[in-house]
Amino acid sequence: MRYTICLLLLFTAACSRAPKTANEVVAVRSAAIPPEPGDSAWDDAPEYAAKLIPQDLVEPRLMTPSTPEVRVRSVTNGSEIAFRIEWDDATQSDTPGPARMTDACAIQVPEKLEKDLPEPQMGQEGKRVQVTYWRADWQATVNGRGDTIRDIYPNATVDHYPFESKALEKGSEAEKEMARRYAPARALGNIRSGPRSQPVEDLVANGPGTLSPGPSLGAKGKGVHEKQGWAVVISRKLPEGLSPNQRTHMAFAVWQGAQQESGARKMRSGWVPLLWKGE
Amino acid sequence: MARVYNWQLGREMSYWYPEARPQRQFAAVFDTNKCIACQTCTLACKTTWTSGKGQEYMLWNNVETKPYGSYPLAYDLKLLDMLNGQQWNGGKYEGQTIFESAPAGERVLGWRPEQQDYAYPNVGEDDCAGQVDHGEFLSLPHMNWFFYLARICNHCTYPACLASCPRGSIYKRPEDGIVLVDQGRCRGYQECVRGCPYKKVFFNPMTGTSEKCIACFPKIEQGIQPQCFVNCIGKIRLAGWISPPAKARPENPIDYLVHIRKVALPLFPQFGLEPNVYYIPPIHAPVSFNQQLFGPGAGEAMKTYRNAMNDPDMASLLCLFGSTEMVVSRFRRQGDQAVATDERGSELVRVPLREPIHVRPAADLKNQLVRINCP
Repeated sequence: MRYTICLLLLFTAACSRAPKTANEVVAVRSAAIPPEPGDSAWDDAPEYAAKLIPQDLVEPRLMTPSTPEVRVRSVTNGSEIAFRIEWDDATQSDTPGPARMTDACAIQVPEKLEKDLPEPQMGQEGKRVQVTYWRADWQATVNGRGDTIRDIYPNATVDHYPFESKALEKGSEAEKEMARRYAPARALGNIRSGPRSQPVEDLVANGPGTLSPGPSLGAKGKGVHEKQGWAVVISRKLPEGLSPNQRTHMAFAVWQGAQQESGARKMRSGWVPLLWKGE
Repeated sequence: MARVYNWQLGREMSYWYPEARPQRQFAAVFDTNKCIACQTCTLACKTTWTSGKGQEYMLWNNVETKPYGSYPLAYDLKLLDMLNGQQWNGGKYEGQTIFESAPAGERVLGWRPEQQDYAYPNVGEDDCAGQVDHGEFLSLPHMNWFFYLARICNHCTYPACLASCPRGSIYKRPEDGIVLVDQGRCRGYQECVRGCPYKKVFFNPMTGTSEKCIACFPKIEQGIQPQCFVNCIGKIRLAGWISPPAKARPENPIDYLVHIRKVALPLFPQFGLEPNVYYIPPIHAPVSFNQQLFGPGAGEAMKTYRNAMNDPDMASLLCLFGSTEMVVSRFRRQGDQAVATDERGSELVRVPLREPIHVRPAADLKNQLVRINCP
């Protein structure tokens, strides 16, 4: 009898540790969106393993497969939806530079709830997709990395920047204007690097090569790297028109910087059903 | 891929987009024989355009000592190796370009320099080719040699950077053929860095975008030559406009040197980009080396240049290099003077083919002085 009880206890303990799994992404109700990947609220959501394939439809293609899958959990508070995306990547690549790519991931959702889905790879003409994109170097910046070349290359020596001239008053508009002259992308508001408040951005696309800034969906994010890989939380507004117990679809993409992956060179999934599980 | 005509190869070739030549094409001729590698051009560009954060390592203009110098390191040797030896048949290129030899899944045959490849802006500076060992105390002419190769973006007719960008962030301006990275659209994938065989696109880690030489387009738009041209103290450079060969005009300085006299040649035409910076090859370097860099016309170009002193029209044009800040649209020789005019035909400058020589005797009898040459 004692032996049977011990076995039963062991079995119960094993069951409680094993993640609940699902054959689709299931967003479960949570009072609040958990901002950290380690929050216990994620334990209530079942895990879905989305298989990834190399992007091999348009050039440049990814010819060597890397990340085989992402493990996904989802919660919603009724207005926002969040995903915790985990994948194996022992190398933390979060420093940009020549031939230095950074780790990244993205989720994709059709802009409209309709039966005929857009093409799974970046949508198509007339059928836009919404993309929420997270990047490791942005995370490092949000975590406090500074905005100087020495924050990336600690041994860098800089003789002089024109905008640090003694003739320019520190913090003055004239100084900022001079700095903008030598950072044309920043001057145009294309903040691909540098100070930012969130490590994610809202984008839209209607086909490969068309990715561009989209209307704000209130995207937020947080990524944490541990030994085995990344755990990233991405949250955004619920897809428009989605009701409890209704489905839409989503897709995933992952870039491993150490494998020189960026842009079109990525691992991606096809469309995966996403269910908002009703109360 | 589309089929396009590349006159530098003497044949059609494959390219990612159909042929779309601009209304006119920015071009330049660099006379390598006059370059002293003072790097004034490099600094003129650096202070004007790349003094910002993340641009510290960038040299949109650089001068490298050939045969060893290269920036980034071995940019040329690496790709020549990847192309694995290709053949010319007279003026026709029978080998493969970087577009035609693109591996599966790629748009062009390319590679991406590592960070340390940018750490040696002129490795082998002033190093001669060949070893002297115990011989060759002084046997001429030039068994051992080097020369200086000044480089900017070639604003190619078929840019590999433009073809490589999967999101169309690079464009070639229809009004002047200048190739630019749209800083509002670039997402920093570095495909252009990988694709450009001349490695003249650079990734800026502080803006997260790629940047490149803009041919000083705000100056070009006003008819003024770029910074690296007007600051060149060796007067090796001339900016202007090149016509397709069938429309070459002898009064156009670039057409005259490139198409009519064929003394100025493209850099690595075999890559297939139809680059628009043309070089008068160094006349003291081996023909075989010049042919590898500048194509099969190098030997004839060297002969033509050597004879320039007996060739008054050619000499007059060479005298106009560095003689005016403005873009020279037309030139003519008037007796022993070279005359440069702008697009409207207004005279820009007039220079003598030979400066008058004044000899001052060492002994000044009038003032009872002996003149010496003071440094």
